[in-house]
Amino acid sequence: MNNKPKVGFYSFSGCEGDLLTILHCEDELLDIFSAVDIRSFRMASSERHDDENLDIAFIEGSITTNKHVKKLKVIRERSKIVVALGTCACYGGPQSARLGYNDWEERFKKVYGSAKLTVAKPFESQPLDEFIKVDYRIPGCPIDKYQFFYALTRLAKGMPVELTKFPVCAECKWNENECLLLKGQLCLGPITAGGCNSRCPNHGLPCIGCWGPTDEANVASEINLLKEKDFSAEEIINKLRLFGGAGMVRRFGELLGIKPKEEKTLSKTQGVSKKKREKK
Amino acid sequence: MTNPFLPEEMRLVRRYDLTSDVRFFQVRPVDMDRALSLRYKPGQFMMISLAGAGEAPFSISSTPSRPGMLEFCIRKVGRVTTELFKRKENSLIGVRGPYGNGFPLEKMIGKDNLIVVGGLGAAPLRSLLLYILDNRDKFGKFYFLHGAKTPEEMLFRKEFFEIKERDDLNCHLTVDVDEKGQWPFHVGLVTDLFSKVEELDPENTYATVCGPPAMYKFVIAEFLKLGIPKHQVLMTLERRMHCGIGKCGHCAIGPIYTCLDGPVFSYWDVLHMKDLI
Amino acid sequence: MKALKLKRDDLYTYLESLKSYGELWGPVAKGEKYVYARLTNVRDVALGALRTIIPPKKFFVPPRFTMFRYTDDHYAESFDDVKPRVLFGLHPCDIHGLLILDELFLERFPDPYYKRRRDATAIVGLSCIPDDKCMARSTNTHAVEGGFDLAFNELGNNYLVWIGSSLGDDLVRLNLDLFSEDIEPEDLKTYLAWRRKRDSRYKLSFDLTGMPDIMELSWDSPMWNELAEKCLACGSCSMVCPTCNCYNVRDVSDLTLNSGVRERHWDSCMNKEYALVAGGHNFREARAERLKLWYTHKLKAFITEYGKPSCVGCGRCIDTCPVDINVAEVIRGLTGQKVTL
Repeated sequence: MNNKPKVGFYSFSGCEGDLLTILHCEDELLDIFSAVDIRSFRMASSERHDDENLDIAFIEGSITTNKHVKKLKVIRERSKIVVALGTCACYGGPQSARLGYNDWEERFKKVYGSAKLTVAKPFESQPLDEFIKVDYRIPGCPIDKYQFFYALTRLAKGMPVELTKFPVCAECKWNENECLLLKGQLCLGPITAGGCNSRCPNHGLPCIGCWGPTDEANVASEINLLKEKDFSAEEIINKLRLFGGAGMVRRFGELLGIKPKEEKTLSKTQGVSKKKREKK
Repeated sequence: MTNPFLPEEMRLVRRYDLTSDVRFFQVRPVDMDRALSLRYKPGQFMMISLAGAGEAPFSISSTPSRPGMLEFCIRKVGRVTTELFKRKENSLIGVRGPYGNGFPLEKMIGKDNLIVVGGLGAAPLRSLLLYILDNRDKFGKFYFLHGAKTPEEMLFRKEFFEIKERDDLNCHLTVDVDEKGQWPFHVGLVTDLFSKVEELDPENTYATVCGPPAMYKFVIAEFLKLGIPKHQVLMTLERRMHCGIGKCGHCAIGPIYTCLDGPVFSYWDVLHMKDLI
Repeated sequence: MKALKLKRDDLYTYLESLKSYGELWGPVAKGEKYVYARLTNVRDVALGALRTIIPPKKFFVPPRFTMFRYTDDHYAESFDDVKPRVLFGLHPCDIHGLLILDELFLERFPDPYYKRRRDATAIVGLSCIPDDKCMARSTNTHAVEGGFDLAFNELGNNYLVWIGSSLGDDLVRLNLDLFSEDIEPEDLKTYLAWRRKRDSRYKLSFDLTGMPDIMELSWDSPMWNELAEKCLACGSCSMVCPTCNCYNVRDVSDLTLNSGVRERHWDSCMNKEYALVAGGHNFREARAERLKLWYTHKLKAFITEYGKPSCVGCGRCIDTCPVDINVAEVIRGLTGQKVTL
């Protein structure tokens, strides 16, 4: 058979909701398995080929221990293309909501007391690109299956992936929802990457930013607007950080009251990394 | 009603590399009558369509004076071009067009012509160059100045070397750097070649430039120094396009659409329409 | 143009009759707003609706639709099965909006996707009394002389029904008994009084003459940067604008990989990638540049090209932008009036 790209699915810290989203695609599952050669997918098959090289690695979950880092680096070395799947992998997820506050150890002690973990050395949850180069990001909590299919087919055909670049508001308008922001709700639609078909506003719920910030998120203006609507700074910042994680902290740390730590991965955006863009 | 968005099946007849990342493509409508009757003007462009990858606009590099075959000179930079580079000879691709205004040949005929090309600017201007050469008696004096970064990066080297030998035009080639010392002609910027331009009647000259953005300012300054009127200084511009026919909006600049009203503009257009370059 | 009269009380009966021509659509309430929806029950129609969340352009250029299905490199056209339909309740500004889309989509290189949907659709207009966000009088789009098949105008206990096309005439004949040809001198009085009432209700009034010159002179105005600082670049303004027509095209492969669809979806020049070309150059990187393009296109470019602005004064941008950047504010800014951002 095999011109088909070899693909692996991996999971770190998270609820595995992204891989579940894929497994739940009953109607398309066979097509997925015939489009690519899946070499590793723990939730779907016990068969694993962890020593071979891959064309594409889809990785969900955030990185929280030194063991993760080791395993992640091995996957990177074996894979031509690494795709961060879901918001945890892309930005750290809710478990990274307090990134940058430097209070992780304190929180850890609160939960685990003085217990010593022996299996692995834990640290504050971080997105994949803190440790390795990530080629593409498919955000979402969980991901949208159609966006995953889109990325998968593009990659399987050896083409670059360009995901939706407009914010949630665009699709929200297409769906003719009443604007929740204008109704005084704390909605992050204008600064959050679209592609979810405005899932929450369709049900009358404000956007909580679970796809992370758009390339051009005007977070400063969003914060001002929400303040005008009488939300407290704390409420706003908590909401921005809940799913924004590293995506918020790295780019908009100062607005959240955090000094930017390093510029390292700042320019990487959803989709193609800047480095790759420049190379073209 | 015909669907103007429907790509026409064309055969990729021939392809070869011009440089490490620029490839030459010969394309022909599958139907031979259609191939021979396809009309276009130098400076026009076509939308090349590859199922799964999408569509993008490309200048036509061939001349309508040699009917039957469309030629493109394409750099691998994006989604569509990456896919196009994978296509083998004899495969089918989708093409639609021609679109855009093209060069105002009716006005350029009988006039002196000066063409200045930098790098990939050869893609659209080769069409005009060959057209003028094929209709040489209809045009006045003719200068063709072409600059590339290095000898390796000069597109259509062989063809231009041959053209350089002709005595019915003044063709001058240059490269910015020649590390291996193999380049037989001038080494330096394309603007250096203006020293070879003489005996043009500026009032009756059309000067055309296409190349990397940084080049325009300097070349246009040279044109103006020669006394060529601003509305006779022509250039072809690039913009994002999804339709080629004034619908998708992406190439809008002020009141015009690059795809309908361009891509060929005069320097006067540029001056009075903000945002053009 | 011929005018008839219809009793207000007979409106629902007549709307029911229109269903024999095709699907009947009209404005219905959605929360505190309105949307165009199928009128299964004619009494659902919101006769007092001023502006729907998105304009009727959605009927002719849906937000997302398939242009082609491809298999390998063969393309098969894909047209939605558009059944005959009647759009009831379009206000004059929205009819003007459609006329502008007609210029763009039906003139040079007619767009078959638009044309099919347009051809299958009868337009039935409805007069309205403006609110404080309407500015159609300034854009001269508060009344219609064409662009509809039928146009209903409030007239006391009646509607004055203008017949704008032969299809309109057919539509009247679907229930001819409801209509009367007797226009009395009193009716003219009522009509004129209604017009005065309408015109007096416009709170927003702008002089748009010379707008292209003013925009040209404002090219380097700091206003654009000030607006850009607030702008969320969410693109909502484009989505709700009756004349914004920009779109993107993308191919979406099936999982079988050798087939798929070429789809078209609404885009906005406010999106950062709007003018990005392969190779990475962005012709409009700065948000201020994109905002300027949006407004230049409405208030300058279109006037230069067609002699009228491509703003029809519907007030949707005023109603929609979360940070209050809209055509009224921009005109105020450009003409040196106080901007209340």
